Amino acid sequence: MTYASGWPVIPRQLLKRERWPGGYQVKGIPLVYHGQEVVPDQPVLRLASLQHFKEEEKRLLAHSSSPILPAAAVASFPPQNIPAGLHGRVVGFTARGGVVIESHAAFLQGVLGAGNQVAGILTIWQAPDRYNTTRAIPPGAILVVPGPLTLRLLHQALASGVVGVIASSIALRDLEGFLRADYLQLLKTSNPELAQSQLPPLTILLTEGIGSVIMPPRTLNLLHHYQGSIGLLSGITLLSHHIYPELVISIPLVEIEKGWRAMIPDTTLALGSLVRVAAGECLGLVGRIDYFFVYEQTFASNLRARAVRLRAVDGSFYVIPLANIERIG
Amino acid sequence: MYTQPYPEGGQGPAQAQNSATLVSLLVADCGAVFTKVSLFGLVEGQYRLMARGEAPSTIKPPQEDLTEGIIQAINVIENVTGRRFVADKQIISPEQPNGDGVDIFVATISAGDPLRVALLGAVTPELESLSAQAVAGLYAQVQTVPSPSYVAVTTPAGAINGPADAMAQKAAWTPERLALEWERQAGQLHELQPQAAVIMGVADGPAGPAPLQEACQLLVNAARDTTQGTTEADGAAKRYSVIYAGAPQYVEAVRRMLQSVADVTRIEPLTNAAQVGAVSAAIGSLQEHEGLQHVPGYQHVRNWSPASPVPSATSLSSLVRFLAQHYAMNVTAVDVGGGTTALMVAGEKGEFIPMVNTALGVGSNIGDVLQRAGLQRVTRWLPFSISEDEVRQFVLKHMLHPQTLPTDSRELALIQAFAREAISLTVEQARKSSHLALPDTDLILATGGVLAHAPRYGQVAMMLLDALQPRGVTSLVVDSTMLISQLGAVATVAPVMAVQVNENDAVSHRLGTCVIPFGNVQLGQLAVRVGVEYSNGRQISVDVMGGSVEVIPLQPNEQALLTLFPAPTVDVGLGPGERARAAEEIDGGLIGLIIDARGRPLALPADDTERQARLLQWSQALGA
Repeated sequence: MTYASGWPVIPRQLLKRERWPGGYQVKGIPLVYHGQEVVPDQPVLRLASLQHFKEEEKRLLAHSSSPILPAAAVASFPPQNIPAGLHGRVVGFTARGGVVIESHAAFLQGVLGAGNQVAGILTIWQAPDRYNTTRAIPPGAILVVPGPLTLRLLHQALASGVVGVIASSIALRDLEGFLRADYLQLLKTSNPELAQSQLPPLTILLTEGIGSVIMPPRTLNLLHHYQGSIGLLSGITLLSHHIYPELVISIPLVEIEKGWRAMIPDTTLALGSLVRVAAGECLGLVGRIDYFFVYEQTFASNLRARAVRLRAVDGSFYVIPLANIERIG
Repeated sequence: MYTQPYPEGGQGPAQAQNSATLVSLLVADCGAVFTKVSLFGLVEGQYRLMARGEAPSTIKPPQEDLTEGIIQAINVIENVTGRRFVADKQIISPEQPNGDGVDIFVATISAGDPLRVALLGAVTPELESLSAQAVAGLYAQVQTVPSPSYVAVTTPAGAINGPADAMAQKAAWTPERLALEWERQAGQLHELQPQAAVIMGVADGPAGPAPLQEACQLLVNAARDTTQGTTEADGAAKRYSVIYAGAPQYVEAVRRMLQSVADVTRIEPLTNAAQVGAVSAAIGSLQEHEGLQHVPGYQHVRNWSPASPVPSATSLSSLVRFLAQHYAMNVTAVDVGGGTTALMVAGEKGEFIPMVNTALGVGSNIGDVLQRAGLQRVTRWLPFSISEDEVRQFVLKHMLHPQTLPTDSRELALIQAFAREAISLTVEQARKSSHLALPDTDLILATGGVLAHAPRYGQVAMMLLDALQPRGVTSLVVDSTMLISQLGAVATVAPVMAVQVNENDAVSHRLGTCVIPFGNVQLGQLAVRVGVEYSNGRQISVDVMGGSVEVIPLQPNEQALLTLFPAPTVDVGLGPGERARAAEEIDGGLIGLIIDARGRPLALPADDTERQARLLQWSQALGA
């Protein structure tokens, strides 16, 4: 199962996320209190280097027992305010100083990614028009590229000051070329904070992973729906800890008030389930389960396995091993 | 090589209680990628495998519950047998008059992370080597974090910065340097996040008893640093499990120092190979209590069974040692899983070399195989050209989706190439850990998905011959029903059942007897003349040339007498040029009598075209 959340796209969910922008040897100072309602662009914590923090903490907190630093202490750190990125309620703090926010949100999980958690305005990338005019990319945005990424586009986004990119897929060579890292090692690093700190400051989320697969309509629809909203994007992918890249977008209050109900993903494979093929020559194919074979089927590798017949969106049929599909809706 | 007690409580599988009253048993083997469940029952007075089911393991999010995968696999058995075994997420037990339910449920587990163990104190290279031997057969990851004062007295001050730093070489271990060493070791502990620790070392070493005290202090500091983040489910602070294998006169002092952060178990000081078994048993016990209990859903599974779930490697090692003793032969078992590769070598006299490599597998850990073996070693087994990009993309996709199956022959060849290297690396590690050459083996047992589910038996034989490179005469058996990792656990509650199922169903897929001449095998020259005298009186003689693989027909229900006439420089187990004639008839197999005259160590042609042609030729010979 690729999706730790169950499905890659969950339009309505009540979730808790730690606001933690990452960083090696840094500590956060919460600027909010437990139970406080926050809005996406509201600063909720301030970052300082661990060394700096320790020295100041010794000096300033000697006579204080409050969990929140006095204003004087906060003011003495180099200013690096971190916005909430979410609309919600503060429900806790972590040991490293992260702020845990509970929010009614839409959720998108990627297959692969890289880079620390960032907040930015979702902006759909416009391909150059027929006169080859490239549209300006707004700095600080999270850029949504409906198709596969290229190394050139990644560099262009980085140069434009974009904080994150969401795309369907990329060639592994391009991804490693941009990150200047062995991506296979990055997925299993024992020190993620250090590893992420050495990557270019551009967070990447790939909805389909490696290759040249396009973004499924459900994913694209969600991103179009929330274009212009602030999203909280994390690219960290750590297989050993089951951490995958994700985008969380708080749902506007007006929508929550209209009989809002969280969606609970069901991962059971059943007739009619919407599934995605996760391996083989049909990788990325999306379809509905049309038939469960009673007996094992033989594939081109001569391997025999339990299988299903899928009906793709275009009406074509495919026989796929049960182990190679995952439910996405 | 060492002999260690059976971890199931000091008795081997065949000596435990009689299971004659049992009618049925379900056993689940929860792997990193798939969960396999088998149903055993009485058929005409013999215990047999009645049905088996398989489903993806469910220890990862979103399920995060071992039982989900087990129940899904049981559902497959329910569909096959028409019986019900689960109701309201509980195993129906005992077996009902209408056939529903089973008398006993047992489980083995290889899913989850390995137990992280820190070796603390005055850890000499010898002790480190002995400790590596002690954990070789366990799902454990060990890291040495020696005490700062021990490092100071055994390491020149400049060594850490590199020998080129002449000034540093001359520098003394100042208090500042020592403080830095404390920080370095604390950092190592922080990164390892150990679940358990072994404190070792003598008191009269170069640093005196100080390393023992410092080991305790490092643990106390580590516990203090992680207090906020690491708590048990009931909110209590995390306590370490510590095995004390150091100077006996300091055990009480160690207990006092660690009383607030750890539970200390004392064992005999680890000073030589004789104590390795005790350390292994102590860490094995910790692994069952500390490691397995953190697998999501463990407690639920524990409640289903009268016996605690056991690590799959422990179960496999029990069976392999039993087979070696029962049949008086050297047995090698190899289990290639998604996250772990295990190799167990057991001798008829109780010799035992286990090696569980928790970082190598053909599923989520396939990237580690590529990293450690390198691209060239992996791709040398492929009969086609492939780019580095394609291999890396394949690896990445497989790391992300370890449960997926290769649907085309190219992907199948790739996964089998990785399996060869996972085995090969594990063999190298076993040799290094045991400091011994692995003994020639009489029987090779192969299990794990990539071997058990290979579409052709010839592919299994090819993988085993390439990766293990056995010599002399041996037999190959594939555990197509994936039972052998489960039977050791079954033996703890039903030994008779374990033995009967093993003989009837687990080792029933015999690929054949294999003759592997070694010594100075010349390419294209006669390596060995094989004389076969079938039971029906028919006789044939086959000349096998160096560099080739031949299969002589010998079906599973056939027997034959075998005579080997090696070339003067070639050995078949009795010395160069020595003729060998089997005293007893050999059994046939699903492939036949295999003669692998490619020489040892196996050397593949350097030229890509020639290498690919040879690989195809060998595969065709074996019907792969």
